Amino acid sequence: MGLLYPGALAFFALIPVLVLAYLAKERPSRVTVSSVLAFRALRGFRRERFGGWPRLDWMFFAEVLILSLVVLALAGPFIWKRTAPLAVVLDNSAAMQAATRLGKSRFDIAREKLDAELSAEDGGGEISVYVTAPQPRRVAPPFSTLTEARLALSRIKPTDAPNDQTTLENFLSNLASEARLAKVIFAGANALAAPVPARIHPIAVGDAVANVAIGSFSLRREVLGAEALHASITIANFSPDTRTLDLVVTGDGKEVAHAKEALGARETATLEFPAIPPARIYEAKLAPDDALALDNVAYATAGSVKNVSILFISPTPADAEGLNSIPGVAVTAKSPDSYSPDELGTYDLAIFEYAAPKELPGVNTMLVMPPPGDPVFGLTVTPTAKVEIAGWRTTDTLTDSVNFRLLSLRGGEYFGAHPWMSQVVGGNGGALVLKGERGAHRFVATGFNPFPYLGRRNLPMSVLTLNAISYLAGLGGSSSGYRTGQPWLVPAGVARVILPSGRKVGAHPGTLFTDVSEQGVYELVGAGGAQTPRAVNLADLTESDLSSSPLLKVEAANSGSTAEPVMEKSSVSDYLLFAIIALTALEALILYRRHRTIEAAP
Amino acid sequence: MFGLPDEFTPGFLARLEKLRIRTRQRYAGLGRGMHLSPKRGSSLEFNDFRHYSPGDDFRYIDWGLYGRSDKLYIKLFQEEEDLLTYIFVDASASMGYPAGDRKFESAMLTALALAYVALASGDRVMLRVLGGKGAKVNPSFVNGRHRIVELARRLHDLRPGGQFDFATSLATELLSIRRAGKVFIVSDFLMLLNSVTRGLGMFTAASMDLTAVQILGGRELNGQGLDGDVEVVDSESGERLRVSIGERERTQYRDTMLRLTREIKSFCLKRGLHYALYTTDQDFQQFFVRAVRDLGLAH
Repeated sequence: MGLLYPGALAFFALIPVLVLAYLAKERPSRVTVSSVLAFRALRGFRRERFGGWPRLDWMFFAEVLILSLVVLALAGPFIWKRTAPLAVVLDNSAAMQAATRLGKSRFDIAREKLDAELSAEDGGGEISVYVTAPQPRRVAPPFSTLTEARLALSRIKPTDAPNDQTTLENFLSNLASEARLAKVIFAGANALAAPVPARIHPIAVGDAVANVAIGSFSLRREVLGAEALHASITIANFSPDTRTLDLVVTGDGKEVAHAKEALGARETATLEFPAIPPARIYEAKLAPDDALALDNVAYATAGSVKNVSILFISPTPADAEGLNSIPGVAVTAKSPDSYSPDELGTYDLAIFEYAAPKELPGVNTMLVMPPPGDPVFGLTVTPTAKVEIAGWRTTDTLTDSVNFRLLSLRGGEYFGAHPWMSQVVGGNGGALVLKGERGAHRFVATGFNPFPYLGRRNLPMSVLTLNAISYLAGLGGSSSGYRTGQPWLVPAGVARVILPSGRKVGAHPGTLFTDVSEQGVYELVGAGGAQTPRAVNLADLTESDLSSSPLLKVEAANSGSTAEPVMEKSSVSDYLLFAIIALTALEALILYRRHRTIEAAP
Repeated sequence: MFGLPDEFTPGFLARLEKLRIRTRQRYAGLGRGMHLSPKRGSSLEFNDFRHYSPGDDFRYIDWGLYGRSDKLYIKLFQEEEDLLTYIFVDASASMGYPAGDRKFESAMLTALALAYVALASGDRVMLRVLGGKGAKVNPSFVNGRHRIVELARRLHDLRPGGQFDFATSLATELLSIRRAGKVFIVSDFLMLLNSVTRGLGMFTAASMDLTAVQILGGRELNGQGLDGDVEVVDSESGERLRVSIGERERTQYRDTMLRLTREIKSFCLKRGLHYALYTTDQDFQQFFVRAVRDLGLAH
């Protein structure tokens, strides 16, 4: 027993004040009676009698008690309590959805075993419940009773997201190193590599299960302006036998491709479909059905228009005329003043000439000679009167077939080193062309303006421009590439997102969207109601490999050999507060009743 | 019911009609009635003989006595007359406290019930109010049971209030009474015992048959609603007393109240008066039916 703030006990000096106040307040109530005859026999006030004491009834003592409790509560009393805190980690990754031979899923079995393990505990301390996917996290503040913890466990559902193995290992290692924890129970598909810290009690439910899976489903345009798309689908066989897998691709519900492939045990293959007709949403389905239905389906989306639509934002919109001459390209020119991020949703890509967006665009974007001090991309710009090319990547898509020796440039600007965009073409004063990906979108920045030179007058410049537009239009925001559990930036103009389950979630452009645990097609809804589909897949063959789950290496910093009992300060202020409230309410009730009785009397 | 208080149900009125006022002596009335009068008259009850005088009615000559004594005697019979009933209701301020006990209302109910018994028996009733606020009740005799509505209406406008000396006030009332009869005094009698005995004693001295009906509040009798340090104020004299009331004091107070009632009862019984105590926490109808003898009534 101890006090956090012993100085507060000085408030006990208030009690004599209360006594004085009570005595001062003890004035008689005046009551008119029919006759005072019978009262004459009674004695006068006790305090008015010689040697008499003030009339301190039980209410006075109740008030003294309340004040004492308040002072005691202010002093922060606590008791030392022997506790044995418990951590429960339940693997809720996609692999836990796999059905076992028992007819139940791995997740259900893990939860039942955890429940049984918790039933055997004595519940001496708080219980923290964690899940592992997409990232390890605690589901709620620590529970004080086993019943609450078991109830919380029963509410957890498996996600479509895989585990991040490294993060999970670090997380378990941290828990195993926590000296205050008496025990860490981990129930999951992955077994722990020896030596297992003594504090950790693993429950492995990852029995080998045969499985076939789709690894990835990507779409791209081979040729700029072509209608058909090229689909690449990776499939894998994680069963001990050779299997003939049947893959059907549908576009907006109609079958657009079909393939059969015989795969040996633990073999992987990539199926190419070069001419997939345009559709809004594609679904690839793998047969035969197996233990994990989740990875037998994958989704992809692509623009269904033939032309590449470009939003050209520039203070000199006339520069877009050169782009308009390219077949299959439709350009809409706007000045920076009239540009709104909401418009981007209807274009395949955007070009900002001598301008920069105020937030990260939701489409692939080209920046042409961006102004210095741009906060979104953070490009370091050094203007120069004469741009000189010193080197370039020879194998890059952007530099393909460009004869840089014939490229003549005048004024421009050099870029400094950029955190996520890499140099493709460089000059003496820095980078001249940068490219990079962010939030599943592609970005290209050039330190010179190619558009005034398009056409036969400057052929290398035309080729470089076409390469850039092809690169940006080839794999747009509508292609696949999003994976469950991996947050993405909300594109500009998106007001809310409709999840595959139908749930609607509000979204703010430029912020990370983290509600990405479901596999399927997410609809990005703009302020005007326009919907853009976005496919999110498991696309993780490691997770799909149910035949051999990798061992988790968990190491405890302090060897974690013994679970030491922990002495914790347990505050009793709550109990005191409860007693204070109860006593105050009781006194108020009695005072009220007494007041009413006296009022109703004479 | 017809302007009467709610307690006067048809059943209760029927029970009241079966009652009559009992007196210990005979009183002369103002008209024919059901009570034997000290006067001689024409009732069936024989009283005495007297010598025949010319002009006497032949029908009353006792011919058997003439045969035995050879003298003419006239048979005399007792007269039956109505009873003059006086009902005094205390409407002083003390009857208004404690308000929740409705003492004055109970006093009015008692007075009306007694008046109805008298009126239903063919007697004359004079209702007098001592103290009080509001319209005064006309101090004249009424007879006929239908007049109960008129009495009820008159009492309805009265409110308790004011202060009076019990003995002096009764003496004044007594002076205005010309004929003796039955007297009911309805009061809480919460005054000095000396004043009560002097007041009641005057009526016995005037050969009146008296019934004292004491009305006390149920809460008043038990000292309910008083707790802790209380300054009690007398409703009539304004006298103030400061007392501490706890359980023990409450018991002491109750004992004192009961002793006061016992003393009044003892005085009444010693003087041959009727005494009845009604506490307002009782059912009025049940009280009236059970206390018939104490009230000086008979079936």
